[in-house]
Amino acid sequence: MSVELATRLIDVLGGLLLFTMLLILVAGQVFRAIYAVAAQAVFLGIAGAVLAAATGNVDLWIIAGITIVAKAVFLPWLLIRVVRRVHISREIESVIPAHLTLTLAAGIVVLAFHLNASLGPVRQAITGNALPVGLTLILIGVLVMASRRKALVQMVGLFASENGIFFTAMAISQGMPLIIEIGVILDVVLGALVMGILVLRVRSSVDTDIADLESLKG
Amino acid sequence: METTFTHVARTAAQAALVVLAAPLVTGFIQKLKARLQCRRGASVWQPYRDLAKLLRKGTVQSDTASPFFRAIPVLVLAATVTTTAMLPVLWAPLGVATLPLGDAILLVALLALARFLLAIGALDAGGAFGGMGASREMTVGLLVEPALMLAVFSVAVSGGTTDVGLLAARREALALSWTAPDLLALIAMLILALAETGRIPVDNPDTHLELTMLHEGMLLEHSGPGLACIVLATHVKQLVILTLVAALFLPLGLARGSAPVEIALALGAFALKVVALATYLGLVESSYAKLRLFRVPQFLGLGFVCAFLALALRVL
Repeated sequence: MSVELATRLIDVLGGLLLFTMLLILVAGQVFRAIYAVAAQAVFLGIAGAVLAAATGNVDLWIIAGITIVAKAVFLPWLLIRVVRRVHISREIESVIPAHLTLTLAAGIVVLAFHLNASLGPVRQAITGNALPVGLTLILIGVLVMASRRKALVQMVGLFASENGIFFTAMAISQGMPLIIEIGVILDVVLGALVMGILVLRVRSSVDTDIADLESLKG
Repeated sequence: METTFTHVARTAAQAALVVLAAPLVTGFIQKLKARLQCRRGASVWQPYRDLAKLLRKGTVQSDTASPFFRAIPVLVLAATVTTTAMLPVLWAPLGVATLPLGDAILLVALLALARFLLAIGALDAGGAFGGMGASREMTVGLLVEPALMLAVFSVAVSGGTTDVGLLAARREALALSWTAPDLLALIAMLILALAETGRIPVDNPDTHLELTMLHEGMLLEHSGPGLACIVLATHVKQLVILTLVAALFLPLGLARGSAPVEIALALGAFALKVVALATYLGLVESSYAKLRLFRVPQFLGLGFVCAFLALALRVL
């Protein structure tokens, strides 16, 4: 695959990643957010495969495969299982109104491009908008984590933010070393498992909401 | 360079085509919806019959309505049909027209003018539903129009002009190399098209239930030929929006000259594009429920942010 074609494909995939990110941001129901983050992981996996084909880097093939298996299949499956098990309400409650979140997202886009411009010339493996797109993904993921009440949806925000970090790493340096990538994915999976167990345990023993933990603060 | 005469003749031919084909698009969407609901559905020609029926009827008018009320349907239809002059329906211009008729900004402005006239008419008649429909329609308009402009601008930046015809011609030459901004702008346009054509997540074209209707609420006071004009304007607006999406994102198969083969090809391409987009409208309408009115800003906000992102990716 030629580099120009790979650049164009990565560009389009970056657009799709941004769109799925916005879907997570506006999702009104837990399942929609989970499906959107699964779709995002699929696009990320495809982006990895495209880069692997373009650069001939074998590690990237493995990373793309792990991304799709772990992030697009296993983690969403786990989240859906938790949602089904604890019978939480499926409406996503947010701390700030939805239109304000969208406005903040638009602000984040401008901020990400400003950051990108202020970094000066960065030697990227893939030219184009990959760096600001990655930054936008990371920051909107943080916004999702900060603005949602449910631990599950905050987890979705974390996955999305993580996807952004992967995308940035792939686009700038053709991926981090394989061992680090695998370590990061393991971290995320472990985090999800801990969150899932915690939510199930908390729910079964004290029947509470994450927001209730606020009252424990001094 | 095409002469002024051919330019005007082609514009008139395009306008006639859009006006004549517009009810058919509505009929097609209704047929598709009926099929998806396992009904046989009315014939695709039903909108024409409805229009013919309305044209034969007399006009009944509220006592409180001002004389201006009578003129509103005609003005709405005129404003809507004029927008077809700014669109490359069959022909792409070869260069800057000798008699420029307007660009995308004027197109959106004319649609806004039609919306404004319709709302004024609804308020003028003094009915309660009219006022409610008008206020809702203007709220939706407030959210849709800036986002529509952003989406159009993000494409216009890549083509270097706001003239939709030139834009289509130049982008066709680029061999349709889609980039991320195009994709996001297309998604934004597809979301906004649902609102602009009054389709289900935003408005329900089939219902006259007072609590849910937006567009229909404004038509209640109109009757007879006046109502026919407004209904035709609604059909035309729908086709204009679909043509705008096609011209911005799929500018394929536009004719340059007047050879019959070329025109037939352009006609075929136009029909294919419109059928594809109308199928999208019908599928969405069949698979989603209408949003609560207070959730509509969030839905349209998604379109707005997509359009904003498209422009940001293009410009920043």
